[in-house]
Amino acid sequence: MQESMNMEKGVDRGQGRSYRGVLARVGPGRDTWRWLGQQLFNRENPAMYFDPLLESINPLWAQRYIPARVEAIESETHDSKTLTLRPARRWGGFRAGQHLNLEVEKDGRWYSRPFSLSCSPSHWEQDGTITVTIKKVADGEITPWLLEHFEPGDVIGISRAYGEDHTPEPGHPMLFVTGGSGITPVLSQLEAMADRHLRNPVTLLYFVRTDADIIGGRKLEALAERLPNLELRIVAAEQDPQNPDHLGPHHLQAVEGLTERDCFLCGPPGLMKHAQNLLADAGVPDEQISSTLFAVGPGVVVTEDAGGTVHFSRSDITVESAGDRRLLEEAEAAGLNPRYGCRMGICHQCACRKKSGIVVNQQTGQPSGHGEETVQLCISVPQGAVELEL
Amino acid sequence: MQKLSEEQLENLAQDLDAIRNEQMADLGQKDADYIRGIIRLHRTLEFGGRALMPLGFIPPFFLAGMTSLGIAKILENMEIGHNVMHGQYDWMNDPELNSQTYEWDTICTADSWKRTHNYEHHTYTNVIGKDRDYGYAVLRLEDETPWKPMHLLQFINFINLSIFFQWGVGVHELEFEKLRSGEVTLREKADLLKDVARKGGRQTFKDYVFYPALTFPVAPVVIAGNFGANLIRNLWASSVIFCGHFTEDAESFTEEECENESSGHWYLRQLTGSSNFTGPNWVYTLSGHLSHQIEHHVFPDIPAYRYREIAPQVQAICEKYGLHYNADSFPRQYATVLKRVAAFSLPDRMRERLFPEFNEDGGEPKLENRGNSTSLVSRLRNRVSSTLSAAA
Repeated sequence: MQESMNMEKGVDRGQGRSYRGVLARVGPGRDTWRWLGQQLFNRENPAMYFDPLLESINPLWAQRYIPARVEAIESETHDSKTLTLRPARRWGGFRAGQHLNLEVEKDGRWYSRPFSLSCSPSHWEQDGTITVTIKKVADGEITPWLLEHFEPGDVIGISRAYGEDHTPEPGHPMLFVTGGSGITPVLSQLEAMADRHLRNPVTLLYFVRTDADIIGGRKLEALAERLPNLELRIVAAEQDPQNPDHLGPHHLQAVEGLTERDCFLCGPPGLMKHAQNLLADAGVPDEQISSTLFAVGPGVVVTEDAGGTVHFSRSDITVESAGDRRLLEEAEAAGLNPRYGCRMGICHQCACRKKSGIVVNQQTGQPSGHGEETVQLCISVPQGAVELEL
Repeated sequence: MQKLSEEQLENLAQDLDAIRNEQMADLGQKDADYIRGIIRLHRTLEFGGRALMPLGFIPPFFLAGMTSLGIAKILENMEIGHNVMHGQYDWMNDPELNSQTYEWDTICTADSWKRTHNYEHHTYTNVIGKDRDYGYAVLRLEDETPWKPMHLLQFINFINLSIFFQWGVGVHELEFEKLRSGEVTLREKADLLKDVARKGGRQTFKDYVFYPALTFPVAPVVIAGNFGANLIRNLWASSVIFCGHFTEDAESFTEEECENESSGHWYLRQLTGSSNFTGPNWVYTLSGHLSHQIEHHVFPDIPAYRYREIAPQVQAICEKYGLHYNADSFPRQYATVLKRVAAFSLPDRMRERLFPEFNEDGGEPKLENRGNSTSLVSRLRNRVSSTLSAAA
């Protein structure tokens, strides 16, 4: 079982056409730019220095992130929408099944949230657009706002694509088990199959709560036309509340030649775990199963109490915090030697990158967000699992 | 120093914490828009100044280019760099405005600055022997430090520090006074020395090699203009900073006074050890809002432009606890800085008679001094005072 949670470099497709690619070949090398940037602007990337002016002339010229113009917004269900984006040309392209981060500023703060691309790479190659499907996370910090805030014509930031390359190969029969918004990377993979005229037998088991929750319905119908060997099984698990139909052995037994299939799982953690066990029981070899956790959002466990598991990622040390010590003290107790100054929240010498998790600022009593940001170790305690770049 | 009871200190901390929490909870788009606006202004002034400079052989262009670049450097150092490195904009999660990665347009490296300024100066504000910013180890500004004859000439140091301020700040952490006394060795400072050379080289290369070379036929004009711009920045930055802690009524503290201090006591020290100057809003912006040094010291990581609106609340708190809120116009505050530098350049006995306002009792006129107005010291004193008020 492989999980594609680690960040990988984006694909360099489309780079050659950009002015940067040309400049890199005829002009000064990257090292020269970096050196000059340091000398003149105290920055490694001299282009970023011009951002404040470039952005006000044309937001698509920003260098700090990759800008993309919102071309269209379509509703999928009552709580999900598909955004059609046109990234600045320097965006590197992607492979089927990959993800990207949307980088947005809400109320002065920058947030970065992962989403799966829901179209095939040929979209980008042919007309320079991509689609990202967003499902509202109930009580989420960003997704409800994302779905309300943007309109066609706006500019949104995106990262390069990352994650495992799931470009479909000819030959192998395949099985996709997906739930909820986990369908999005599968849409990309199926569309890529259709583009490549592959004839593999494919079964899609797609679990949704009710018929009103089907994401990508139109696209799936169109794909069924283009892929004659696609067997589409959409299960509305809670359509009949008296008679729920959740993933069970009977769904898998109905799949022809199950043990021969390459299986791809994407959905809520519970469903994926369950599917994995059922597949193992049915005798599908481990190396034929791959999964991605990405499409289901960050999966934060929100707790009320202070304390939790603290992972120091650089030194690869994990400690259990009872929540009675500040993070600086936890780090020192774990044998680390982080930089510090006043130890009372004034000087920011101990400020450190938090990769994920929630910390509480004990001076203000305010909890942080769960994404990546800078926190002060000397006045913060963890609230749930936290990962620090230390 | 002005004293408060333990209970008062606790209440003081609560009152100030309340303002702080209110401000922190209010951070948002307004602050992001403000700092981005300043950055846009900075870039415009910098590029504008550098573009005008080659035309500097025409005097008005020279003046415009130099002033534009000088103001750009002032904005970058004071309203952007200083404030960003305090973590005032860390909450924005913008890699360009992060206290841990920002590097500013001056000789001093960001890392060295954060150690000596954010940590030492802001934690041990005006504590003699711990806050090396109090007099920058070249000025004697209080009587805790024993007087030596060389202090008679400290006005020369003062002028040099003002003119070469960015270099002074750049080498501040080398701690020359400790090197001289053998307390630390040059070997211990080797890394720092390398950093100073690297960053200093970079800053010199930019202003005195790269841009002049780019405009070769008029290089001397560009060199002169860039020198002028750096000078403008140095004089303004040093003056603003001197007005923040060296004014007549700004207090200094001993290490004993601050042992195991409570947060209330730390607040008290920030309030009484700092001083504000008043002026129009554009002066506040150009000072990086260090015009509001008191508010800055109480709340170093709240976006500085908010100090303007917090100031009346802080002043009201000072009044509530009977503390002196030290604010006056820029010329008046600067005049008292000069007076302090002059006063403490003198031996203690002479200073006590010439500048009684710096005595422990605050210069209450003593009976025996009355009717003694014809003495040499009194006449001297009157003359110094009237010259200084005239300068103000």
